[in-house]
Amino acid sequence: MASSPTNTATSHPETGSSTSTEVLIHLNAVSPELLEPTLSNLAAAFAGYPALVAIPETAAPNHTRNIDSLRVLPFTPAATSTVNWVHTAGDYLTVYKLLQEQNVGSCLMLGPESHTMQPESIRRLAEATLATSSTDLAVAHYHPGAHEGLVNSGILYPLSRALYCAQPRFPLAIDLGISIRMAERLATAAQRFTAVNQEDALLWPVSEAAMAGFSITEVDVPSRTAPQPANLDLNALLGQILGSLFFDIDARASFWQRLRTTIPPRTVLAGPEQCEQVDVAPMLDAFHLAYSNLHEIWALVLPPHTLLGLKRLSVMPRDAFRLADSLWARIIYDFVLAYRLRTINRGHLLGALTPLYLAWLASHLLLVQSGVPPEQHIEELAQAFEVDKPYLVSRWRWPDRFNP
Amino acid sequence: MWQQVELALSQSAHRALVTLANFLPGLLALLLAVLILTAIGALLAALLKRLLTAIRFDERLSKNSLVPLDWAPSHGPTLLVARAVFWANVVLGFLIGISAFDAAYAGNSQMSFFLLPYLTHSVGAILLFLLGTLLARFLARTVLIEAVNARLQYARFLSVGVKWLVLVLTAATVLDHLEIGGTVVDLAFGILFGGIVLTLSLAIGLGSRDMVSRSLEKTVETEMLPPDPAYKTQTTETLRHF
Repeated sequence: MASSPTNTATSHPETGSSTSTEVLIHLNAVSPELLEPTLSNLAAAFAGYPALVAIPETAAPNHTRNIDSLRVLPFTPAATSTVNWVHTAGDYLTVYKLLQEQNVGSCLMLGPESHTMQPESIRRLAEATLATSSTDLAVAHYHPGAHEGLVNSGILYPLSRALYCAQPRFPLAIDLGISIRMAERLATAAQRFTAVNQEDALLWPVSEAAMAGFSITEVDVPSRTAPQPANLDLNALLGQILGSLFFDIDARASFWQRLRTTIPPRTVLAGPEQCEQVDVAPMLDAFHLAYSNLHEIWALVLPPHTLLGLKRLSVMPRDAFRLADSLWARIIYDFVLAYRLRTINRGHLLGALTPLYLAWLASHLLLVQSGVPPEQHIEELAQAFEVDKPYLVSRWRWPDRFNP
Repeated sequence: MWQQVELALSQSAHRALVTLANFLPGLLALLLAVLILTAIGALLAALLKRLLTAIRFDERLSKNSLVPLDWAPSHGPTLLVARAVFWANVVLGFLIGISAFDAAYAGNSQMSFFLLPYLTHSVGAILLFLLGTLLARFLARTVLIEAVNARLQYARFLSVGVKWLVLVLTAATVLDHLEIGGTVVDLAFGILFGGIVLTLSLAIGLGSRDMVSRSLEKTVETEMLPPDPAYKTQTTETLRHF
């Protein structure tokens, strides 16, 4: 990258406008005390290559000092966001405005704690979406431990892969590289939310890119500390993220119903790793408590066959507890359908999913503790979602059809 | 004397028949107005639904709107408009019927004086009852799900208690609105409401005893015990959902 031409203008095939090959780096919610290490890390990543670093004024009110080839650009965010561990609609809108103002062809959006990333990873992510590259969306591929990113592994990734036939392992990655036309598309989507003062709404860049027919690539990010949300209430977080995902799925129904291709399974290279033992008893207790109390609510959402599967699960001994991948896929699909049909209040629906997620989690952890590599199980789960996709399509089109 | 009794009875029967004869046309007018306007409403709603479906009203609305519209398939904009037209006609029928009913009586009629306010109060009472029932079901489900996710063993009991609290409140409000029962309703409501609140308080207090003691123990242990890395490892949450 250091040898790449600097500040040369290039014409975009679609927009036709002339843009600079300089990269804009948008730092999302960087804290003032981490600003220096973050900038040093970026300087190492972009040694000799010009880059604009957009920092919120709140993080660096008087910070205008340029470091090496980095030009620091303080900006005023459109609105103060309460969500700072993931990109929101307001962030995408700001990025597009900055790209237009600075006449830059691509942007690197880095989430909080980006100073923990290796400079090479940042550089690869930026290279993937340079104006000269044909990629519109570069998504970071992290390597979390067996006990990290569990919602992503159990729900977000399998759903995104099955419905949108999209490869990225982390559909809600916080480190992204986006082209100008991708930024424009995301800004248009973001505007729908910001127009009604929902700046904190989550957007799903992978599904947006898949729908637009843009090229998507994954960039390996071997090490990175994942920022955690301030509010650690699992129920509220699941409601927020899954509510947004289900809404997105509902809005793009006409697109994903037509997709028939399947993604070839990933090769899981790592052997079974020794991981810390986690006590799954509280998760199983939560599931058993929910089974005896929420059964009538689940009965409104799930078909009899799935309820039978849950009944069998409720009497399984702890050591043999195993939620089949096909059953989990069916549960998620039925909840997506119930969200669409508004079978029950959407807040209630997402709340009723939490104990089922804990049951899946307990099953997954027990499987991993028995020696199965976590990635292998996640791949099998993703394939189960792909295999069962016709069920979702069928029930989406004919929800009133008899379903035993 | 027998003749006088006979005369009094025949006059009473005559008055009752006259009152009934005065009452029936008004009631018939009310029923007719409601039925006719309901039929017109159903016809208009069906026509409107067909027209809006033909011009793809739902699709146009979602395409042209800046704000993301979120409609359930069974509650689309077309259906909403059709239903609004239908119910507007039904309400119009009631209004016409009630004014016809009112017109059928002389201004000094006792029947009109008592029946009309009661009719309007009944509509209010029905609405209150429906709202109360819906609210009770919604709150019961909310409490049940939240309590289960908070891992409270008495989640169902709590949910049923909240449901009955709202239902008792609704029933008391409805009866009060209809002016039935007088002070008996107030008294019964106070006893029932207070009883349910007391039961719930006792149940939660006794049920949460372990939870409170565990919480207190944890606080005391944190303050008293020296920092032990092994102890910290055991208590730290090792799972990261996001």
